[in-house]
Amino acid sequence: MDPLIEYANTTTRRHFFAQGAMGLGAAALASMLPTAGAQGAEALGGLPGLPHFAPTAKRAIYLFMAGAPSQIDTLDYKPKLDEMFDKDLPESIRNGQRLTTMTSGQKRFPLAPSKFKFQQYGANGTWVSELLPHTAKMVDDLAIVRSLHTEAINHDPAITYFTTGHQLPGRASLGAWLSYGLGSLNQNLPTFVVMTPSWTGRSQAQALYNRLWGSGFLPSKHAGVSLRRSGDPVLFLSNPSGIDGPLRRRMLDSLKKLNQETAAQIGDPDTQTRIDQYEMAFKMQSSVPELMDISDEPQSVLDMYGPEATKPGTFAASCLLARRMAERDVRFVQIFHRGWDQHGNIAGDLPNQCRDVDQASWALVQDLKQRGMLDDTLVVWGGEFGRTVYCQGKLTRQNYGRDHHPRCFTIWLAGGGTKPGIEYGATDDFSYNVTENPVHIHDFNATLLHCLGIDHRRLSYRFQGLDMRLTGVEDHSPVKDILLA
Amino acid sequence: MHSKALISVLLLGLAPLAVVADEINYNRDIRPLLSNNCYACHGPDESKRAGGFRLDQQASAFAEADSGAHPIVAGEVGASELVRRINSTDPDEKMPPEDTNKKLSAEEIALITRWIEQGAKWSEHWSFVAPARPPLPTVKNRDWPASPLDDFILATLESKGLQPSAEAAKTTLIRRVTFDLTGLPPTLTEIDDFLADDSTMAYERVVDRLLKSPRYGEHMARYWLDAARYGDTHGLHLDNYREMWPYRDWVVQAFNDNMPYDRFTIEQLAGDLLPEATEDQQIASGFNRCHVTTAEGGSIAEEVYVRNVVDRVVTTGTVFMGLTLDCTRCHDHKYDPLTMKDFYSLFAFFNNLDGAPLDGNKKDPAPVIAVTTPAQKMEIARLESLIEEKQREIQQLVAQTSYVEPAAPPEVSAPQPQEFVWIEDAAPAGAKAEGGWKFVTAPAPVYSGEKASTRTASGLGQHFFSGAPTPLDVHEGDTLFAYVYLDPKNPPKQIMLQWNDGTWDHRAYWGGNHISWGVDNQASRRHLGELPETGKWIRLEVPAQLVGLPAGAKINGWAFTQFDGTTYWDRAGIVSLHGQSATYDSLLAWESDQRAAKGAGLPNELKNIIQSDPKQRTEAQQQQLRDYFIEHAYAETRDVFQPLHQQVDDARQQIAKLRKGTSTTLVFRERAQPKPAYVLHRGEYDQRREEVPRATPAVLPPLPDGAPLNRLGLAQWLVDDAHPLTARVAVNRMWQQVFGVVLVKTSEDFGSQGEPPSHPELLDWLAVDFRENGWDVKRFMKNLVMSRTYRQTSDVTPELLEVDPNNRLYARGPRFRLDAEMLRDQALAVSGLLETSMGGPSVKPPQPDGLWFAVGYSGSNTVRFKQDKGHDKVHRRTLYTFIKRTAPPPQMSTFDGPSRETCSMRRERTNTPLQALLLMNDPQYVEAARALAERVLREGGDALEDRVATMFRLGTARKPNADELAELVQLFEDAHHAFAANPDAAANLVKIGESVPDSALDTTEVAALTIAASTVLNLDEVIMKN
Repeated sequence: MDPLIEYANTTTRRHFFAQGAMGLGAAALASMLPTAGAQGAEALGGLPGLPHFAPTAKRAIYLFMAGAPSQIDTLDYKPKLDEMFDKDLPESIRNGQRLTTMTSGQKRFPLAPSKFKFQQYGANGTWVSELLPHTAKMVDDLAIVRSLHTEAINHDPAITYFTTGHQLPGRASLGAWLSYGLGSLNQNLPTFVVMTPSWTGRSQAQALYNRLWGSGFLPSKHAGVSLRRSGDPVLFLSNPSGIDGPLRRRMLDSLKKLNQETAAQIGDPDTQTRIDQYEMAFKMQSSVPELMDISDEPQSVLDMYGPEATKPGTFAASCLLARRMAERDVRFVQIFHRGWDQHGNIAGDLPNQCRDVDQASWALVQDLKQRGMLDDTLVVWGGEFGRTVYCQGKLTRQNYGRDHHPRCFTIWLAGGGTKPGIEYGATDDFSYNVTENPVHIHDFNATLLHCLGIDHRRLSYRFQGLDMRLTGVEDHSPVKDILLA
Repeated sequence: MHSKALISVLLLGLAPLAVVADEINYNRDIRPLLSNNCYACHGPDESKRAGGFRLDQQASAFAEADSGAHPIVAGEVGASELVRRINSTDPDEKMPPEDTNKKLSAEEIALITRWIEQGAKWSEHWSFVAPARPPLPTVKNRDWPASPLDDFILATLESKGLQPSAEAAKTTLIRRVTFDLTGLPPTLTEIDDFLADDSTMAYERVVDRLLKSPRYGEHMARYWLDAARYGDTHGLHLDNYREMWPYRDWVVQAFNDNMPYDRFTIEQLAGDLLPEATEDQQIASGFNRCHVTTAEGGSIAEEVYVRNVVDRVVTTGTVFMGLTLDCTRCHDHKYDPLTMKDFYSLFAFFNNLDGAPLDGNKKDPAPVIAVTTPAQKMEIARLESLIEEKQREIQQLVAQTSYVEPAAPPEVSAPQPQEFVWIEDAAPAGAKAEGGWKFVTAPAPVYSGEKASTRTASGLGQHFFSGAPTPLDVHEGDTLFAYVYLDPKNPPKQIMLQWNDGTWDHRAYWGGNHISWGVDNQASRRHLGELPETGKWIRLEVPAQLVGLPAGAKINGWAFTQFDGTTYWDRAGIVSLHGQSATYDSLLAWESDQRAAKGAGLPNELKNIIQSDPKQRTEAQQQQLRDYFIEHAYAETRDVFQPLHQQVDDARQQIAKLRKGTSTTLVFRERAQPKPAYVLHRGEYDQRREEVPRATPAVLPPLPDGAPLNRLGLAQWLVDDAHPLTARVAVNRMWQQVFGVVLVKTSEDFGSQGEPPSHPELLDWLAVDFRENGWDVKRFMKNLVMSRTYRQTSDVTPELLEVDPNNRLYARGPRFRLDAEMLRDQALAVSGLLETSMGGPSVKPPQPDGLWFAVGYSGSNTVRFKQDKGHDKVHRRTLYTFIKRTAPPPQMSTFDGPSRETCSMRRERTNTPLQALLLMNDPQYVEAARALAERVLREGGDALEDRVATMFRLGTARKPNADELAELVQLFEDAHHAFAANPDAAANLVKIGESVPDSALDTTEVAALTIAASTVLNLDEVIMKN
C-alpha cells in the first residue's frame, strides 16, 4: 500500500481531535474509529467525554402527536366537570391567561366535560378514557406525566420549541443533539430516523417542518433522515433503473481506485473519508431494504400491531419499523403523527386519531418488553401542548371543540430507566392549571437527555458566540422523580 | 512550559496561530479565555454580575471587588485574587465553578498567570476599534508576494519556519478560479486557451474575463442570499408561496454591476428611504422583509410583530456587523458591551413597517410593489418609443393639414344635442364582452347597422361588457339610449339597462320587478315604466343623472338584462350637448359647442382658451385650438387621425398592463407616524418597560453628522469610515468564500466569544484597503484570486498536515468540497445541459415525490410539489431553484445548504453517505452523466480513450494519467459487456431525465459511457475544489 495513504489513514484520528468535533468531515472520520461507549457498546463518532454518565436508555422512540391531543378526553380525568356543563370557566381559574385569537373573541368560555367514559386500570387505578383501550391495558408500564407546560400557544412555535428548544427556526433538534453528542451505534443505518405516517382524524392537519428534525447550526450530517412513505425509503437509495447491484459495485471499485490515487497525490484526509462514505452508501443499499422488509415478522407480532401494521405509511407500520430499528441500534426514532388539532368535532375526529395510534403504541411497548429491550429503550408519547377545558365553537353534550392550551398537558413515557406504573404531576379540576410538580418542556427534554446519559447543561455547541443548548439558558433539570435511578 | 502550552492550544484548534510571539497579546490570547470562562458572572450583564467586579473592563478588573481583594494586580501574580481562584482546588473557591461546565486547562491558567506577570497589558476588544492600515511586515523571500496580502501570509509562515507551497498546476488553477468567481467549471476551450497562453498576463486575463461574466453575479449572490435568508415561501405554519424573486435578481444584478458595497448596504437596509427611490432601490429594501412570517390561526399580532422586528435587528447585526445581538433581546450581553437598551434602540429603527405583522398567507403581504421583468421593461420601452413616433406623425400631419373655414358657416347658435352611438354591431372595441353575446342579422329584427344582439332567457339573463378603454363621458343633462325589440311570442317580464362607472349600481328597468339588484326608487333601481310594446323597435331613454351618473362620470360598461322572454337590442349610446367624438366641418361650430360645454373633456389649457374671449386670444392660442380641432374633431381628417389615436391608446393600455405587472415583491416602507419602541422585559412582547428612542449602541461610534435618525442614517452609519466592524466583516466573508477557512473563523461573531483573527493585521489591511478603494467588490475579489497565497497548490505534505491540519496558515492552496449549488451546476455544465437564462420566478426541477406532502399543511398552496417541465426550467442554475423553507430541496440540504429560515453566514461542509447516494442516483445527476456520455460521443473524438479523456478533462480540467485512463476504459468495457447482455437495462438507463436521449447514438454505448461519466462526476477531485 502507498505509504501516503497509510499515513492518511493513521492521521485521521489526530485530524479529528485537532479539528475539534465540528471540523470538516471530522465527525464522519471519527465514525470509522469505533470507541468503546460507556455501556461497552461501540459508539461511532460522538464527542469525547460522552455519555457524561451511564445511560439508562441506549436508544429512544418518540411518538409525537402533532397538533396536540386533548388531555381532558384521554388521560387527564376530570369528573367534576360533568355537572358544570356549559357553565362559564371561573375567572379565578383562567387568571388572565392569554388566549389564542381563535377564541379570545368568544363572549363566553363554557365548560365542556369530556363525553367519553373513563375507567380505572392497573395497580394504581389509573383513569383512562375509552378512546385508549390498549394504552389503558399497559398503565403499569407507563410513567404518566400530567403536568407538562410550555409558553407557546400556536402550533408552529410550540412544536418547534418542543423539538428544538426554541420557538423560532434555526436550532438543532433533539435527535440531532443525540447524534452530535453520542454518535451512532451502527454502521449501516442512519442514527436518527423520522417517520411521518398517515392519519384519519382531522383532514386539515397542522404542518410539520423539516426543522423539527433538522440539524440547525450543527453540521447537517446530524439531521434526522426522514423515511418516506412511498418510493425509496431513504432518498436516492435505489440505483437508477438499468444499474443493478453488481454493476454498481463494479463502478464503486473503479471510483475507489481513482479516489485512492487522489488521496495519494493530494494527501487530503477528506478523500479517504469520501471513499468510506461511498462504501457506507453501498452498505445502506442493502441494510435499509432489509430493515423495511417485514416479511420475516411472525403473524403473532403483526397481530399485536393491528390490521394496519402491514399497510405501509400507517402509524402501526411505523411503530413496527421503529422496533426493527431499535433492534438494529438506530439511536433515535421519531414518529410524527398528525391530525390532533381538534378545534371542533371532537366526537367525530378524536376517536379516529386515537384508533390510529392506540393499539400500535401499546404493541410497540409490549413488543420491546417481550424482547427484553424495554429496559434500555425509552418510549415517549405526547403532543406539543394541551387543549382547553372550555369549548371552542358550538357546545353540546355530544360534540364540542377545544382550543390550544399551553398551561398543562399530559405525556407518557415507558422504559429506558423511567419508573413503570406511576402518575406524576396533577392539574386542577378544570385541567387548566398545574397544581403539583410542574414539568416545563425544557425539564422534560433534560429528562430525556438524562436517560441517554447526557447532562443537558453540558451538551452545548458554540454558535454566534453562545453556548447553545437544547434546554435553553434558564435553569432546568431532569425530573428525577420519574426515573428509576 | 510556555511552548508546551502553545502546542496544546494549537491541537485544540482554538485561536492557535498567532501565539508565536513571546509577549502575550491580551486581545488574542487572554480576552477569549476570560470571556468564555468568566464574563457570564463577571461581565457586561449587570443583572447576573457577581462579586461586584467585571473582567471585561480594565478599571473594574484592577479595582477592589466586594470581597476587598483585587482580581488583577498588574505584574503581581501573588496579589491577584484571580490567579488564586483559578488555581484553587476548594470547590467553594474554585473558578470557574464546577456547575458552569467551564474549565480552564493548566496551559490556559499558565497563560493568564504569565500575562499578569508581564504587566497585564490591556487593550480594547479588537473588533470595536476602527481598523487602521497596518504597515506591511518584512519578509525574507521578497520575490514571492504578488499582493500585499501575500506579505502578511508569508511573514507568519516565515516566523514559523514554513514555506509557501508551489504554484498550482495551470489546470488546477483555472478550475479553482472559475469556480470561485462564477460557481461553474471552465469549458474545454477556456482551459485550452489558458494553457496555450504563455504570457505572464495569462492568468490575469482569465480573472478579468470571469469577473465580467454574468455568471459572476449569480455566484456571488447565492452566498449573500444565505445571509439575507431569502426563500420562496413564508417559512412558518402554512408556508405558502411568497413572491420575492425580484429581490434575488436585484442581488445578482448588483454584483454584476459591481455596485460598491456601501451602496449595496444602504440600498438593502434603506433603499426605500433614498430620495426618489427607484424601483430597484425599493426592491433592494426587501432585505428587511426576507424573514420568516406566519399567519397561523390564533396568532397574537403583537407577538408576531415583535418577532418580525427582532429578526430584522438580529440579521442586520449579524450580516453587517458580525454581532450577536440576539442575546441582548432578553438581557444585557454576557460577553460584549451591549445592553438590552441598545437592542431596543436598534429595534426602534426597524419597527415602523407600513404593513400588518401577519402575512395573511398571501404571496404579497404589504408593503409590496409590482415589478416588471427585464423582458417587460424592454416591451415598455418599445411601446413608449412607438407612442412617441406616432405622436410625431400626428403633429406633422396636423401641421400639414390645411384648413379653411367653410364659406357658409352655420349660424352660431345654441348647441344642439348630438347623438353619440357607442354600441353598434358589437361592444366597443377593447371592452370585455361577457354573458355570451349572440347576434342576428336580417331578416331577424335589426334596427340599424348589420346586426342586433339577442337573448332568450328563462328567469334572469343578461349580456354585458365592462372595461371599455375609451369610456363614455357623461355631461350635465345627457340622456342614455338604447333600442329594444321584444319578441311578441315570448315577451320578457322585465327588461333592465345597467351602466358601470366603477360599480354597476346604475339601473333602469321596465315592466315587472323581478330582478332583485339595487334598491327600489334609487339610482340603483329606477322603474321607468311598463314594458314597451312588443314586435317593434322602441327607443329607451334614460336621463343619466336619474341613475346616479353625474356630469364627469365615465361609463366603461353597459348591461342588457331581462327576466324571461326573448329580446333584441341594437344601437345604444348617449345624447349630449357636448358630444363625444362628434365631428365637425367647421372650427367655429366646434368652438361654439365646446364653449357651451365649458370645455368639458378638453385638456385644461384648452379649456381656458375656449372659455376666453376669442378676440383676446393670442395667435399661438388660436393655433392650439385649431390644431386640437383638426386632430380630434375635424370631419375631413377624422379617418387620418382616428387610427393613429387608436394605436397610441392601444400602446398606452399595454404599457399600463405591463406596469401593473404580473409579479410583486416585498419591500420596506415606513408608516407616517413612527411606532414607539420599548425595552421588553425578558424579550416578552407584552412586558413593556421604558420607551427608547432610535439610537446606535454606545460601544460603537455615534451616527455620522447629518445622518437622518432612521434606517437610512443607520445604513450610512454602518458604512461610515469610523465604523469598526462593517468592512472587516465584509472582507472576512469574501475571504471565507474563496479560502474556505477564514481570518475570523466565526464569521457571524466578531464579539468576545468569536475567535480572534488568525491574521489580525491582514484583516485590518484588507478592510481598510476595501473601504478606501470605494468598497469595490470586484477589485477585492480580484486581489484575492491574484494573490500568490491563493495560487498555491493544495497538495499537502504529511508534515504540513501535522502542523496545520485546517490550513489556517495558508501554506497551501484552498481545497474543500464544492457547495450544493456548485455541484449541481457543474454536472449540468459539463454535460451541456445547463440553461443559462437569468432571473425570473424560481423553478422546480424534479425532486423525489412526497417531500412537501409529508410535512405540508393540508391547506397550504405548497403542500404538493409539482415539478416544472422543460429544459428552460429544469436545467437552470441551482440559484433559481424554488426553496420551500419548511422542506428545502434535498439537492441543497443534503450538501449543507441552509433552509433559509434564518440568516446563515457560513455552511458546514459534511461528508456523508447520503451525499454519495444523491450524486450516484438522483435522476438529475444520472441524466447529467448520460448527457455527458452523449456529449463525448459526439464531440470527444472517435477513439474510446479520447472520449473518456475528454470526459475526465471536463470534470477535472486536467488530462487523466495512464492509470486513470485505463481504469475508466476498463470500467466502460465491463459496463458495455453487461449492457450488451441486457439491452433493456441500457434502454432504461439512458431514458432517465427530462431531456430526450440522442437517438442517433448506440444505446449500449451511451449506457456504458454513462457509467464512466457518473464515475467521473463522483470523483473526489470533481466533488472538491482543488
